[in-house]
Amino acid sequence: MHKYFDEVVNENKMQEINKKYVLPGDVIIEGNYRPLMNVIKKNNSIIATRIGIVEMGRDGIKVIPLSGVYIPRVNDIVIGKVVDNSSLSWEVDINSCFSAHLPAQDVFGRDFSPARDDIRKQLAPGDVITARIMAFDRTRDPLLTLQDKDLGKIPKGEIVKINPTRIPRLIGKRGSMIQTIEQATNTRIMIGQNGILVVVGDDNETVSLAIKAINTIEEEAHTSNLTQRIRVLLNVPEPSPEDDENTENLQTENSLKQDVKEENDDGENNLEEDEK
Amino acid sequence: MTEQVIHLIDKDGKRTDGRNIDELRDIKITVGMIKNADGSAFIEFGKNKIIVAVYGPREVHPKHMAQPDRCVLRCRYHMSPFSTDTRKNPAPSRREVEISKVIREALEPAIILEDYPRAAIDIFVEVLQADGGSRCAGITAASVALADAGINMRDMVSACAAGKVADRIVLDVNDIEDKEGCADMPVAYLPNLEQVTLLQLDGILTKEEFNECLDTAIKGCKMVYEIQKQALIQKYFGNEITSDVKETAQ
Amino acid sequence: MSLSKKATIILEHLRKQQMLDLLNKGKRLDGRSLDEPRPLEIEIDIIKKADGSAKVKLGNSEVIAGVKVETGEPFEGLEHKGALIVTAEVLPTASPYIEPGPPDEETIELARVVDRGIRESEMLDLEKLVLVPGKIVYTIFVDCSIINADGNLFDATSYAVVSALCSSKLPVFDIQDGDKVIDTKQKQPAPITTIPISLTFAKIGNNVILDPTSEEEACMNSRITITTNSNGEYTAIQKGQTGSFTVEEIKNISEIARIKGETIRGKLKELIESGI
Repeated sequence: MHKYFDEVVNENKMQEINKKYVLPGDVIIEGNYRPLMNVIKKNNSIIATRIGIVEMGRDGIKVIPLSGVYIPRVNDIVIGKVVDNSSLSWEVDINSCFSAHLPAQDVFGRDFSPARDDIRKQLAPGDVITARIMAFDRTRDPLLTLQDKDLGKIPKGEIVKINPTRIPRLIGKRGSMIQTIEQATNTRIMIGQNGILVVVGDDNETVSLAIKAINTIEEEAHTSNLTQRIRVLLNVPEPSPEDDENTENLQTENSLKQDVKEENDDGENNLEEDEK
Repeated sequence: MTEQVIHLIDKDGKRTDGRNIDELRDIKITVGMIKNADGSAFIEFGKNKIIVAVYGPREVHPKHMAQPDRCVLRCRYHMSPFSTDTRKNPAPSRREVEISKVIREALEPAIILEDYPRAAIDIFVEVLQADGGSRCAGITAASVALADAGINMRDMVSACAAGKVADRIVLDVNDIEDKEGCADMPVAYLPNLEQVTLLQLDGILTKEEFNECLDTAIKGCKMVYEIQKQALIQKYFGNEITSDVKETAQ
Repeated sequence: MSLSKKATIILEHLRKQQMLDLLNKGKRLDGRSLDEPRPLEIEIDIIKKADGSAKVKLGNSEVIAGVKVETGEPFEGLEHKGALIVTAEVLPTASPYIEPGPPDEETIELARVVDRGIRESEMLDLEKLVLVPGKIVYTIFVDCSIINADGNLFDATSYAVVSALCSSKLPVFDIQDGDKVIDTKQKQPAPITTIPISLTFAKIGNNVILDPTSEEEACMNSRITITTNSNGEYTAIQKGQTGSFTVEEIKNISEIARIKGETIRGKLKELIESGI
C-alpha cells in the first residue's frame, strides 16, 4: 500500500514529499514530525485527512486541501448575503456551515433602538456585504462587523463563487495573481475568504474575461505553470528578460505553497488562540 | 443440495456470472456528478447503481439536535421504486432504516466529527438499481463522496462482502448467490488503520469457514480501496498521476 | 393546509439586478434568449430492472424515471382502462434545501402536474391494458427520482416520464382459470398514441421566459406549465406562484408552447430513437 510514497520516503527527500498529492488515510511519512493542518498523527505516522497537496516545512507537515466547505475563522474577510433579520440583528449567509449574525448596533451605533430604527432600511434580505468575522467559537455562530475600511454593502458588481480552498491560489504570492487579472482586465475584484468574489468593471467583456481567468484558476489550482497560462489567457506579455527568469519560474512553481503558508499561519494562530 | 452446487459454481470453478471465487464484480466510481452537493459519487458495483450525495458540514435543523463538542452524522439509505424486480413502495421500509443505521456506523469511525462541533453532515445513499451487496457499494461510494466534500477523515472506508456458496468461500456475493447461497457476510474496513467498521452475517459458517470468509472479505475491501483511490485521483489530479500510481503499485 | 412561506432561496440583489438588466435586453444570465430551453440530454434504459427507464438532463436539472408494470384492480369509474400512476420524489441529494421525509406540497403539485400532462393527453391507450374488464388490469407505475434540482422540474420530469414510456417494453400477462394472472415472459411495446410535451414559463417583472433555472425561479412572480399533444392541442395547464398573467400574455405563451413544443417533440423523439 501507498507505494507511490515508498520511493520518496526511502530516499527521504523533503522536497519530494512537498507537493505530493494525497487522499484521506494516506500515510505521508513515518517518524517524529509535527502534524499541523489536515493531518493526524497515529503511532509513528503522519496521515492525511483531506484530498490535497502535502507541504512539509521545518515546523511540521500539513496538507493544503483541494475540496471542502468554508469553515469560519476570526478576522477573515468574507462576502455574504443578508438572508433574514430580526428586530435586533441580520442573519447573513457566508457560504459556510454556519450562518453569521450582524448585530444592529454595529451599523446603527450604540444608541440603536429597535422601536425607533427600522433595521431593514439599512440592509435587507438579498443585500451583499463585505464583513469581517469578529468572533466565532464552539459555543456560538460567527459574529460579523462592518467596522473597518472597505467593509459594508456592495452596491454593484458581478458575483462569482469558487471553492474556498482555491482562494490562496487566486490571490497568488503577495497578491501577484489577482493583481495580474485586475490590471489586465481593468476590473476590481473583491475577495471573500469564504469563496465569494465580486468583480466590478465598466465593460461587460472585460468582466467576463476576469471571471474566465478566475474559473480557470479554480479548476487548475493544483497544476504548475498556472501563472503563465493565465497570462496567455489574459494576453499579458511575459515578464521582460531584465527580470530574473529563474526567480520568476521559481515563484510560479512555489507560489501555491507560499501563498497558502501565509494563510495557514493565520489559521494556526487562530487555533492557538482557541486553545488558550 | 447437489443441484445447487452445480448451479452456483461449475466444475471449472466459475460462478453464475463467470467470475472466479476470488474475483470482484466490475466496479466503476464517478466522483462529483451531483452539482448541488458538497460531495458526491456514483458507483456501479456489479448491477448496483447507486448515487451518494454529501451535504455538510452544515447547520443542524432542528437546532436542539446539535452537539456542542462534535458533528451530528445523519445517513439515509433509500431505494428508488424502480430499483428492484418488483416495484418497491417509496416509503422507507424497516430494512432501509436498519441499513441507514449500519452504514452510518460503518462510516462514523473514519470521520473526525470533533472537527465540526455544532454542525451536521448528511449522507444520502440512493439505490437506483439494486443487486446483491448494495450496502457495501453504498458505503464505498459514501466514503468517496465524503472525501470529495473535503471532510476530515482518518481513513477511507472500503466495503465488500464474502460468503459461502456451494461449500466454497467466495468473494463479493451477487444477488443469486445471496438468495441461494449458504452465507453472506458484508464487511467494511479502514484499509490503513486496519479496523473493521461493519460486520454482519446471514447464514451458517464453521469456525474455519468464518476465518476464511473474513480474510477473503478484507482482501476484497483492499481491492475496492484501490478503485476508490483511482476514482479520486482521476477527479482531482487528472490522468498524469494515475499512470504513476499504477506503475509503482505493481 | 397550504400556507405562504418564506422563500427558500434568496438571490443576491446584485445577481437579481444583473438578471433584470439582461432580461430587458432580451438576454439571460446563462446566455440564452428568453424563449430558449436549456440543452436536453436523454439516456434510455439505464435501469435494467425496470420495464422502461430514462435519465433526463435539462441543464443541471437531472431526473430518472422508471416504469414498473403490475396487475391490479382498475380505478373506480375507469373499469375498462388500465391504471397509470405517476409519482415523483425530489431526493434529498438534489439540493441543500430539501429535507428527507414525506413530500411537501410543491413536490405533490409537481407529481400531479406531470401525471395530468401524461394522463389527459391520453398518451397511453389504457383501454388496451385490460385483462379482465372491471376486475384485473395492467397497473403502470412511472416513478421519478429527481437527483439534482436546478429549476423547471416540471418539464425535466415530464420528459423523463415520456422517454421512459416510449422506450419501455411491458410484460405480457395472460389470464388462466378466470382470474389467475400468468406472466408469459413475452414483451410488448407500450401502446403510445401521442407524445405530450410540457413547457414551463416563468414571469419575472414583465418578461416571460421559457425553462427557468432555480435562480430565475427565485425571482419569478408567476409560473405557467402548458402541455400539448402531437396534434398541437392543449391537454393540460397549470398556473403557479403568487403573481398573475394578463389574458394577452397567456395567449402569447400558449402559442409559443405549441410552436416550441413541436420542436422539442421532434428533439425528444430523435434522442429516444438514438438511445434505443
